[in-house]
Formats: sequence, structure tokens, C-alpha cells
Amino acid sequence: MILLPIFLPFAGALALGLWGTPRVGAIANAGLSLVVFLLTLAVFAAPGHGLIHADGLGLLFGALTGFIGLTTSLANIAYVREAEARLRPVLWRLYHALCQVVLGATLLGLYADNIGLLWAAVEGATIAATLAVSLPRTASALEAAWKYFILGGVGIGLALFGTMLVYLAAQPALGPGFPAMSFAALSAHAAKMDGSLLTLAFVFILFGYGTKAALVPLHGWLPDTYAEGPAPLTAAFSGPLLNLALIAILRFRHLLQVNVAAGGAAMAPGPFLLTLGLASLFLAGFSFTRRRDARRFFGFSSIEHSGIAAFAFGIGGPAAIFGGLLHMVLQTLLKSGLFIALVSAAGLRGSAAPGQYAFSHLRGMIHSSKYTGWMLGGAMFALAGLPPSGLFVSEFIIISQTVQRNPWVSLPLGLGLLLCAAAMLRNVGPLVFGPAPPHTKAHKAGAEMHLVALHLALVAGLAFAMPGPVLALFSSVSGALQ
Amino acid sequence: MSLTFSLAHLMGGIVLLCGFLLLSQRRLAAMITLYQIQACVLAAAAFWQGWAQHELNLYLTGIITLALKGLLLPYGLRQIVLRFNLRRAVESGMGMALSLILGVGLIGIAVLVVLPSTMRAVSLTREDLAIALSVVLLGLLVMVSRRSALAQIIGFLSTENGLVLAAIGMPGMPFVAEFSVALLVLLAFLVVGVFLLRIREHFDTLDVTGIEAIERRGR
Repeated sequence: MILLPIFLPFAGALALGLWGTPRVGAIANAGLSLVVFLLTLAVFAAPGHGLIHADGLGLLFGALTGFIGLTTSLANIAYVREAEARLRPVLWRLYHALCQVVLGATLLGLYADNIGLLWAAVEGATIAATLAVSLPRTASALEAAWKYFILGGVGIGLALFGTMLVYLAAQPALGPGFPAMSFAALSAHAAKMDGSLLTLAFVFILFGYGTKAALVPLHGWLPDTYAEGPAPLTAAFSGPLLNLALIAILRFRHLLQVNVAAGGAAMAPGPFLLTLGLASLFLAGFSFTRRRDARRFFGFSSIEHSGIAAFAFGIGGPAAIFGGLLHMVLQTLLKSGLFIALVSAAGLRGSAAPGQYAFSHLRGMIHSSKYTGWMLGGAMFALAGLPPSGLFVSEFIIISQTVQRNPWVSLPLGLGLLLCAAAMLRNVGPLVFGPAPPHTKAHKAGAEMHLVALHLALVAGLAFAMPGPVLALFSSVSGALQ
Repeated sequence: MSLTFSLAHLMGGIVLLCGFLLLSQRRLAAMITLYQIQACVLAAAAFWQGWAQHELNLYLTGIITLALKGLLLPYGLRQIVLRFNLRRAVESGMGMALSLILGVGLIGIAVLVVLPSTMRAVSLTREDLAIALSVVLLGLLVMVSRRSALAQIIGFLSTENGLVLAAIGMPGMPFVAEFSVALLVLLAFLVVGVFLLRIREHFDTLDVTGIEAIERRGR
């Protein structure tokens, strides 16, 4: 049962890669994603056991990944209709196949109860994502893909070294063989692991998976990738792949924490994560100004939110972890919704090709289409984290936990959040309500804008009226990983 | 048992030496040869560990390493050098003396970091791990200190050899062969990527139909 949502995308990728016109491919891609989403929900009933099984964290983020995959692929149908002529049919097939490979690899990483398998999943997703970024075949896209490949490759190498060190650190507790690579067994025996070796491993893991989570100073690839890759796929990147890397960091952090709590020789993981988190927050805050390309701008926003999540994990304790996980979920929903709106908005202004996302080109969106303009503005406003938005809740939890557990770092955190929120809000006005470029005609908003509305509603619902069972799952996950 | 130790260390040492010499080589062809030697010694180390640990997995790793990294990848790299006429290309970047000094420093760091923190591990693994980490760091240094894509790739390939060296030294670690295959896929994409990138530099397009059109017209 658990294997189905992982293998179906890979099998589907093969079929999508071999047959079909672009439009048929887009519809088949959406259909496949729907089935995968339903399967990720079905996994709740049968989480499986052994090498690949879903714990609470896997269930939660698996369903989220499935949902994002579904909405992105639905919005992708409209994108393909608009962009069909820009790529050859063979490349469209490759594009749809890669969408599914990224989806399947992300799910594999989320459900894997094995540090090696997790690593392999991240590696596969990286390769697929890089190929996808290079698809527009422009010089800048190739450059972005090359940068991603080199940085991602180094990150993957470091993560593998860290993975092997964790295995070695587990030798005194678990001995050679498979148990020393299973998360379940590792966290049960983390107290008896070799602490100093575990610390060394965590440094490699942090820098390895931190590259994939775009934590500063390893973030260099992300803005370029967002700006140059095919638009709908960046929506898929913006959430699930970053989440996968952050979750990997969270799981390894837990091992260190247990070892420290049991009086082992490991160093506390907090300071590492706090430093990288704050660095990401501030770098994003200062980089927001002077961005002309909207997708690059929102790339920095992803770095900011990755940093906030890492910061929350650094604070530690069940409530902060709860805040961090909630922040990741809401951020993912908002960002992918925002990208759907952005692609649609660029389409209204003529073309959704990379390079058509300058703020000056998209400004005054409300004059092109009221619905699109409001949705775009709503998603951006929500990303700033001010009260009616769901992110306010998660950021509030994180800040209050920071004040409680580590008051001094709440100062830079507050400053960084303010900086980012101000930069985000400064752009909402011109982009939505500003004067439109000359010769702008009013259009009807695409049907995909309903998906954005759905995303926004989900964010508000999850933040302010989280259903009981979801809340229980969140609490048990963050309690287990504190 | 002592023979196991000394031979494993000897081969690890040769792999490290090749990684270090990569820093001092300016010409791409020489770098490729060094990489080839490194990969072949690594394959021998994998066979030796497989024999010592009685692991079929490690023999498999050795065969994969020898066939693909010892023969196929260097062949592909040489093809790139020939095709784009890079035989006489001299790498500039960081000065050689500086990069060698940095390299020695990195080896020192690797030893200082790994040896104290692995007091409880088996001694064979300890020293192997220090050597492997040195190879990894030296490969990264090559990537940083060189400008051309191909030299960076060779640095990455060397880094990856260090990772495999660490993996084969781990006692009874599952998935070693799978790891090396997964890494190889990444490497293959990198080499193909640089190939396509060079094509772009020459023809300013990746679209092969364009190149065919140029060839039909007789360039």
C-alpha cells in the first residue's frame, strides 16, 4: 500500500516520457497526480512497516506533497496550453515525466525509514529538478541549472558523508547492519550512540541537506533556479523539496537532542540551527530590495521561510517544533498558490515564459483581472505574516517560544521578521493596485485562480480552526521530535 | 589481520595522493589520468575490503567502480577534451603554491577532526575515515580553485571517490553498492551536462537540430 504512491509516479513518468502530445501529457499528469494524492491519503489507513513506512511526520507532509502536486498539475494544464509552442513535443514529454519523478522522489524521501534511502531520494529529486530547470534551454536557464547541479552535488556529497558518520556513530548501540540506518531504531537508541561522532555527522548533514533547504550560506542556487526554470515546476520546488530537506535536518537534530539529554558527548544542535536560521532571515530581508524579477523575489522569500523553520527547530521543545512544522506547511501552501497566481498573471500580460516576470511588467494586475489581482495580493499579504494570515499564528508560536526559552535571540528574530514583512508589503501595492503598463486590456481570470483561493482558504482554516485529528497528529509528531 | 590494515591504508594513501596531485596539475589531460589512477586504486581497495569483510556487496562496488569510473568516465572526459580541443588548455585560477598549502591544511584539519572524535570506533575505520575526509575536502578545494567546468567536474569526481572510500571502510554497511550507483548517475549527468554546455558555448544553442542545419550547410 505504502509503495503505491511512490512507484506510481515513477511508472507514470516512464509513460509520460514516451507518449503523448503536450496537452494530453498535461491532462495525464494531472490525472496521475490526483491518484497519487488520493493514495497519500489512503496511506493514513495503512502506514506500512519496515524499510519504507510512514510515521506521523511522513503522513502529514506526504499528504501535503500530494496536494501540492495535484493543484500544481491542474494549474499546469492552463500553462501548457499557453506555452505549448515554446518547447518541442519531446521536451514537453520530458517535462511532464520530470514533474512525476520529483513528486515520487519526494514521497520516497518522506516515507523512507532509512537514512540511506532518504539520501538516495533527495539525490534523485535533485537530478530531476536540475534537468527540469535546464528545460527552457536559454543560456541563463542552463547557467542556473549548472549552478544548481554543482551546489546541489556538493551538498549531496556532504550529506552522504554525514549519513555514513551517523551509521558509524550508531555502531556502539546497534552494531553493523540495517538497524543502524533506520530512523526508528536510531532515535530509540540515540542515547547510547557515540556523541562526538554524532556531532561531526550533524555538521555534515546540516551543510549537506542545508544546501537543499537553501539555508544561508548555501542558498546561492535557489533564486536563479526559481527565476529560470519552467514556472509551474518552481511552484512544486518551492514547497515539498525544501520541506524534505528541512525534515531530514529535523530528524537528525532529534538524535543529537536525545543524546545530549541523556548526558551523551554530543553538542547541542540548537546554536548551529539558530545561526543558519537567522543568517537566512537577514540575508533574505536585505536581498528583497532591488529585486526586479518577481520570481527571484519570491525565491528569497523561500529562503526566509526556510530560515524561520530552521530557527524554530533550533529553539527546540515541542511547541517550537510545532510552530516550525506548521510554518512549513502553511508556507508551502501559500507559496505554491502564489506561484500559480503569478504564472496566470504573467499569462494575462502576454507570456508566462521565464524572464516575463519583472515587477514593472506585472504591475497594476487588478487592471488586467480583478480576481487575479486580488488573489495575487492576498497571497503576498499572507506571506508577510500579518494578523489575518495563517503565518501569523506559526510565527507567533515561534516568537513566544523564543522569548520563553532563549530570550536574547528573540531580538534579532523580531527584527528579521519585520524587515522581511516590510519588504513584502512594499511590493503588494504597486503590483496589485499600481498603474498598469500602457495598452493593458481587461481579461477574464483563468479557472486556476480558484485553486489559489482554495490554497488561501486552507491556510486560514489550518491556522485558525485546525481540525481535531490534524491537531492531534501535529502535536504527537512535534512531541516525539522535541 | 595486520596485512589487511596495511594494504587498506596503502591503497587509501594512494587515493589521497592522487587527490592531492590533482591540485598541482594544470593540464586537463593530466588531471583525467590522475583521476583514472585514483578510480582504479579505489576499485582495488573495494575488492580488498570485500575479501577482508567477506561482503559480496563490496566486490560489486569494485566492479562498478573499475568499469565505469576507471574506464568509461575517463574515456568520456577525454572525448570532451578532444572534441572541444582543450588538449593544450592550461587552467588558471588560484596559484598552485597557495592551493597546495591549503590542501595540506585541509588534510591536517581532516585528521584533527576525525581521529579524536572516533576514539571508540574500530581502528581500521578511523584512519580510513580520516583519509576519506581528506580526499573529499581536497576535491572540494579543486572545485573552488579552478575556473573551467571540466576541471570542476574532475574535482567533484575526486570528492565522490572519497565518499566511496569512506563507504567501503564502514563495517558491514548496507547499500554500499547502491550508493555508488546513485552517485554514478549524478556523475554521468554532470559529464553529459558539461558536454552539452560546451556545445552551447560553441553554437550558442542546445538545440541539436540547429547543429544539424549548420552541418548540412557545411558549417
